[in-house]
Amino acid sequence: MIFIAIVVGCILGAIIGIYAPMVPYTYSGYLAIAIIAALDSVFGGIASTLNKQFDLKIFVSGFFGNAILSMLLTYLGQKLNVDIYLAAIVVFVGRMFNNLAIIRRYYLEKWTNRKEKLKTEKTEQ
Amino acid sequence: MKKEKKNQIVMTIIIGSVCIVFFAVMFMQFKTIEETDITAIENMREADLRTAISEWKGKYEDTQKQLESNRKSVQEYQQTIDKNGEASELIDKDLAESNMLLGKTDVTGEGVIVTLTNTQECVIEYSHLLELVNELRYAGAEAISINDARVVTTTDITQINSRMQVSGQRVASPYVIKAIGNQTYLSSTLSLKDSGFIDRYKASGMDIKLEKGNNVKILKYNGEMKVKYMKEVEK
Repeated sequence: MIFIAIVVGCILGAIIGIYAPMVPYTYSGYLAIAIIAALDSVFGGIASTLNKQFDLKIFVSGFFGNAILSMLLTYLGQKLNVDIYLAAIVVFVGRMFNNLAIIRRYYLEKWTNRKEKLKTEKTEQ
Repeated sequence: MKKEKKNQIVMTIIIGSVCIVFFAVMFMQFKTIEETDITAIENMREADLRTAISEWKGKYEDTQKQLESNRKSVQEYQQTIDKNGEASELIDKDLAESNMLLGKTDVTGEGVIVTLTNTQECVIEYSHLLELVNELRYAGAEAISINDARVVTTTDITQINSRMQVSGQRVASPYVIKAIGNQTYLSSTLSLKDSGFIDRYKASGMDIKLEKGNNVKILKYNGEMKVKYMKEVEK
């Protein structure tokens, strides 16, 4: 059910995004950083689901909170003439890789476990 | 059981809406990035604008430099024009000098006036005049006239039966020969002992009067100067 919701949401979102008005280039930087933050939240959510620690409140708050916070930080950076968005990107992308590593390890373990199980079954036979 | 189901529905809806928002924003961004190339100038970032401004500043400076160099060259041209003006002035001066030397203008200056008069003992002949003119020239006379007939480069001094002519103009005694030049040179050359004109002919009874003048006036040549046969040799 959740998977269906995800797929439908993705398609609907894509359609809305395609037909939505264009964002001025000045603000596209903020949008980009928000997207990175959201992506980080998504991977974090997936990783926590695999660890069976998923909490909807944390996910949603992280999703929107991180996006908005990163945008605000970028704005502040522009006002201060410091490229704070670079720091935000480093943090988010680093965390994204961490989460991806967790996901990868989880599935790798699962796969090797299954293989070993099959082997043991074969030997038992 | 019911609560769990409700929770699941809520979660589905929330995750679905999150997906919608996420993808909508992502696709908006994609579109923006794709289309900015077309409207790049309108949507340029501040940094881009800054670089553009600095570029324009550089261009402006270059143009300024060019303008200055152009101004310089204009000034140089002006100077050459002025120089040409000077040159033409020089040419004018040259022309005036040449005209004076040729005898096309009335001239005045320091010089001598020699008056020869016929006497019983000695009648003046054209050779005397020629000799005198020659001697005056030798002494550096710049302009010479005989009875107000200017002696120029084409002047002839002839005698047809006791009739004296200077470039076809009849002259008679007393012959007044005016010469402009260095007074002292002229007078001393003419009155050199033994070899001077005055010393030589006074002995034979010629009536010669030598006057020095600070303001000798010599009229211009009143004939025509025409070049008919000669041509400049092409180099």
